[in-house]
Amino acid sequence: MDYVILSLILLAIGIYGLLTKRHLLKVFVSVELIATAATLNFVMLVPSLGKGLGEAFLILAFSTDTCVSGVILALLVIVHKKYGTSDIGDLVKIEQEKEEAVKVSEVEA
Amino acid sequence: MILEILSVGLIISACLAIFLDEAVYSVAALAGTFFLTALLYAFNGALFVAIFQFAVGAGTLAVLFLSGEMLSETPTKTSQKNLLLITVVGVLLSLPAIFLSISETPAALSGISFGEALWDLRAVDVVLQGFVIMTVALGIVIVLHEKRKGEK
Repeated sequence: MDYVILSLILLAIGIYGLLTKRHLLKVFVSVELIATAATLNFVMLVPSLGKGLGEAFLILAFSTDTCVSGVILALLVIVHKKYGTSDIGDLVKIEQEKEEAVKVSEVEA
Repeated sequence: MILEILSVGLIISACLAIFLDEAVYSVAALAGTFFLTALLYAFNGALFVAIFQFAVGAGTLAVLFLSGEMLSETPTKTSQKNLLLITVVGVLLSLPAIFLSISETPAALSGISFGEALWDLRAVDVVLQGFVIMTVALGIVIVLHEKRKGEK
């Protein structure tokens, strides 16, 4: 069994989710899958990298993953509080409506 | 054999995490992905990594369950037919990982200790990561400070 291919498949599933899903939580799940794929790749390359370097890569990968998760979750909560939705399509619509309202008010002024 | 079963389960749960419509079920499937990844590490003899994966996964999932519950809007149910289709797609996707193989890279850097690897080979990464964490912490402090100012 080849773990490089396994992590490649996980990465592909994550990228597919990132590109196609409209809900921000699904986007977050996709990012988590991509991070898991990267970590799996690092871990399974340990025999050829050496144990120490593998563990170092792992610590870096996990801490980066945790930082990314924290920032995305914070943004997710802020966006949901501000706009009342977490659908990317709805967010784009709201922003466009806002811009149009600003343009109309400028023309009227 | 058990590693192959774990890999198939891993791909199926990853597919479910992406394709299930309801946020909470999606997060539950992601929990399955984390759990199976940790088991895969443990069966390959990487217990240190498995414990790390469990710890990080548990923290992430706890927060995700809370935010998933908070952010989920009118859920649409996935039909049994779609569920079966996702499972079949997951099994098909995991087949290349089981039957194909890429030649292994030669052992080049074995014998380097964890400390040496972290501080000699990856020192720049460690320092930069420290900066990233510091920036995030500073950002949170500034946001909270602004929020408190706004409340006053």
